[in-house]
Amino acid sequence: MEIATRIAGSAAILSVNGRMDAVTAPEFEKACLALLEQGHATQVADLAALEYISSAGLRSILSSAKKLKAAGGGLAFCGLTGMVDEVFRVSGFMKMFRVHPTVDAALEG
Amino acid sequence: MPRLAAAFLLVLVLATTCQAAPARLVLHWLPQAQFAGYLVAEEKGFYAKRGVDLTIVPGGPDVNSTHHLAEGKAEFATMFLSTAIARSPETDLVHIGQVVHQSALMLVTRKASDIRTLQDLNGRRVGMWGKDFQIQPKALFQRLGIRVQVVEQAPSMDLFMRSGLDAVSAMWYNEYHTLMSYGLDPDDMVTFFFRDLDLNFPEDGLYCLRATWQRDPATARAVVEGSMEGWAYAFAHPEEALDMVIRRMKEYRVKANRAHQRWMLARMRDIILAGEPRPDPELTRSDYERTAAVLVEQGFAATAPGYADFVMDARPDAAKTDPLPGTGGHP
Amino acid sequence: MKRAGIATRLAALILASTAVILSLVVGYSFMVSREGMLDLARQNGALVAEATVHRIDAQLRATAKVTDTVAATLQDAPMDEDFLRDLARRTLFTNPGIYGTGIAFEPQAFERGRHFFAPYAYRKDFAITSTTLGSADYNYFAMDWYQLAREMRRPVWTEPYYDEGGGNALMVAYSAPFSRRTAHGLQRAGVVTANIDLVWMQRMISEVRVARTGYVFVLSRYGTYVAHPNPDMIMNETIFTRAENLGIASLRDLGREMVAGMGGFMEFSDLPGIGAAYVSYMPLPDQGWSVGVVLPRDEVLAGANRATRIMTGIGVGGFFLLAVVILLVSGTITRPLRLLTRAAAGVARGDLDHRLPAIPTGDEVGDLAASFGRMQASLKEHIATLTATTAAKERIQSELRIAHDIQMSILPKTFPPFPERTELDVHATILPAREVGGDLYDFFFVTPHQFCFLAGDVSGKGVPAAFFMAVTKTLIKVVAERELTPGDILAKVNDDLAADNESCMFVTLFLAVLDTRTGELRYANAGHNPPLVLRRHGGPEWTQGMEEPMAGAMPGMEYSTGTLTLHPGDAVFVFTDGVTEAMDTTGALYSEERLFDTLATCHGAAAAEMTRTVSDAVSAWAEGAEQSDDITMLAVRYLGPDGTKQEG
Repeated sequence: MEIATRIAGSAAILSVNGRMDAVTAPEFEKACLALLEQGHATQVADLAALEYISSAGLRSILSSAKKLKAAGGGLAFCGLTGMVDEVFRVSGFMKMFRVHPTVDAALEG
Repeated sequence: MPRLAAAFLLVLVLATTCQAAPARLVLHWLPQAQFAGYLVAEEKGFYAKRGVDLTIVPGGPDVNSTHHLAEGKAEFATMFLSTAIARSPETDLVHIGQVVHQSALMLVTRKASDIRTLQDLNGRRVGMWGKDFQIQPKALFQRLGIRVQVVEQAPSMDLFMRSGLDAVSAMWYNEYHTLMSYGLDPDDMVTFFFRDLDLNFPEDGLYCLRATWQRDPATARAVVEGSMEGWAYAFAHPEEALDMVIRRMKEYRVKANRAHQRWMLARMRDIILAGEPRPDPELTRSDYERTAAVLVEQGFAATAPGYADFVMDARPDAAKTDPLPGTGGHP
Repeated sequence: MKRAGIATRLAALILASTAVILSLVVGYSFMVSREGMLDLARQNGALVAEATVHRIDAQLRATAKVTDTVAATLQDAPMDEDFLRDLARRTLFTNPGIYGTGIAFEPQAFERGRHFFAPYAYRKDFAITSTTLGSADYNYFAMDWYQLAREMRRPVWTEPYYDEGGGNALMVAYSAPFSRRTAHGLQRAGVVTANIDLVWMQRMISEVRVARTGYVFVLSRYGTYVAHPNPDMIMNETIFTRAENLGIASLRDLGREMVAGMGGFMEFSDLPGIGAAYVSYMPLPDQGWSVGVVLPRDEVLAGANRATRIMTGIGVGGFFLLAVVILLVSGTITRPLRLLTRAAAGVARGDLDHRLPAIPTGDEVGDLAASFGRMQASLKEHIATLTATTAAKERIQSELRIAHDIQMSILPKTFPPFPERTELDVHATILPAREVGGDLYDFFFVTPHQFCFLAGDVSGKGVPAAFFMAVTKTLIKVVAERELTPGDILAKVNDDLAADNESCMFVTLFLAVLDTRTGELRYANAGHNPPLVLRRHGGPEWTQGMEEPMAGAMPGMEYSTGTLTLHPGDAVFVFTDGVTEAMDTTGALYSEERLFDTLATCHGAAAAEMTRTVSDAVSAWAEGAEQSDDITMLAVRYLGPDGTKQEG
């Protein structure tokens, strides 16, 4: 799994590419925390290139989101497709988090 | 006084009758194994035990055994039969015992000279010794009708070895071995034995003056018997005999070569026994008369005495099969 | 049989090779030096023989020359007795080496009527005297000194002889025939002779040094010894009689060679008084004599033998030294090895603290010992670690087993759970993937006629998931007893779980409450895969998915409550994703579709039958592939308010 990060104004954007499973999930958490330490509590995860997510991936997303929220920021999602979209829906993550169709929409929202 | 004289006379008479009769035996040449029997008998006491106190007088180039007898220098002598026959008229010798029954004289040639038969000797140079030794060869050549150049030969075989002579005279027991000791193998030599050529003269014998015999025949017989016993002992114990002979030779400073003496003793045994088991001192009439005839014919002796006159029967008339005392007693 | 140790093998091999090499070297060197010595001996012997020959020859030649000169003089000399005597005397005077000289005439050759005439001068008492030879007793014509020269018609050397007149000294004569000029030409007239004694020759030869025990001998023309260290041999024996006496056939061969005037070298294995020896021989051609030089072999080879003995001694000494050194050195290798072997055996038996031998040799063996020590220490450490780890693991394993037993014991396992309640037929099975899992189910009566049943799936695996599962089950039971609607129950449970959820674990839940009098079923779903409803009159139907979040993720979530009515004979089949996500060996999922189809065949079956059918189908699907997730299913069949069972 590869994570590309960039700063867009007040928010940081993480573009996730590949599979998020028990092995790769900690990397997502680490990336979020790194950005947080740099002062970017508001982050957007672009999951357009994410093919698969497991419960371990959901956990790391949840853990990261909690930390950002405690720091006064938050974690938004965009670009959900296929299996990832369905998992978010079924698991109720869709109702827990702000999910947008595109990055721009996420940045606005 | 008379008693002393009588006692002295008695002792004298006793002495002369009881003590051993002294006698001297002169040999006709230097001491060597040719005379082993007498030397052994003297040392072993075979004469002494028969009551004869015998001394051996060695011969040599300066000694003529006949003259010794004639001059009273010895009572008994050894010499060749031929010599005795020739000398008997002037010396009145008598024969008391024959020792050598077979002639040891021989002619030797070298194979290299191409002489194979007696006929081949015709015209050749033949070495001979003095008169005594020329009788047999001359008789032979006369019989065969061949003429040879007679060359008087020195005691050494040098001229023959240097091929200065075609044939040489030799005694089987002496000079023949000398030739072998000069390196000639028997294969290198051709030999003619006179014993095989009907000229088998008996040689060494024991003699004394007739007067000696007549005076004391017992002593003469004792000398003969002792000598025979000495020869028998020498043949039975050759190495011991050789020791005695060589010791004697050294005493008289004569060259003593053991190998040569051993050969000499062995050949003496052949010619003394002549096939008989023991030494026999008898000279048969036929042997005597045969020899005497040739001597006279060759002119060596003017006349020869009659057999009975000349040959003393050393044994009393007894069966000839009786064993001689001291010779083992075997027939 | 135990093989001989390294030390022994090494020693044996090296020593054997060394022995072979040494033997070869010594043997060869002995042979070579022997050959060298023999060659030297040959040369030496030849030189001595040659020198001796020359010295004898020189002296004899002088005599011959003088005599030949006299013979020549006599050809024309006056036949005067005084002159002849004077000539003889003068010859002696001017030639101190000549003992006597004579001029012997043929019969009648000096003057008619005289058969013998031989004036002879000789030395006596340091003066020269004269005499005349020839008489009946002294027939010189038959003597070798005259006869040989005359018959051979040339000068000759006679054989040596002892002359009594000359004090018994050993003499030899040289005779030369002479002729005189007459009217008829040259006629043989006689023989001139000169005798010389050979004492000087015997003395000279006895003084010749040949090694320590060697000697020189001289043979005359026919092999008679004329000079020899043993006086008994002189003029007494020829080399042939000596060969006969000693029984040495090869001596006869030597005699033939020497007498034939040959020169050479011959070996003898045993000559009396000297043993093994070599004889070098050379002729004196004029006289036909021969000189022999006897070299004792032991002395000839003494040098070689001694050298060989010393070499052998050094070799043997060195051999033993080598043996000792090899044994010592190999000892330094094998002793530490033996010590190490014993120590290793001790360690192998389990005595890890077995003291290793200290080997400070600083070489390969020392390195081996040091490595051994390091290995032992590391082994100890490793085993200690392993023991500790194994102990820890075993502790965990046993605790896990206990945890599993405890966990299983909190789930209701007795079926049928409510035998007296005829309205329901309930059955559940759970197959945990690991020893402790995260799936849960439960059922209980909230009120006499409100039957609550649920199933859930904790995210993750292992002990944390199990703990969360235990907490969740307990929490739900407590909350459900407050008679809330399923949605509210879940909301409350979610808030409690999310409150202290550091580990961000969450649990999917499906919770339903059935009114056994009416068959009304109210339900809520927190992120759990929707169960199936099996209609008696119809087939399986999916319940509606709520898409509401899993419990424990975030507090303050709201959950809605759904309703549907069960008719008698209808059943609800609740399951976790372990059923639908069961993989076969190719990784293909069992899937909702297959579950749907399988349950379709359970039309009207009892709850237990339903669970068993699905279990078997899932097992068959898996085909022995490893179970990756807990497989949990709960089947609840509504039998109506009266039920098909009898009361009582």
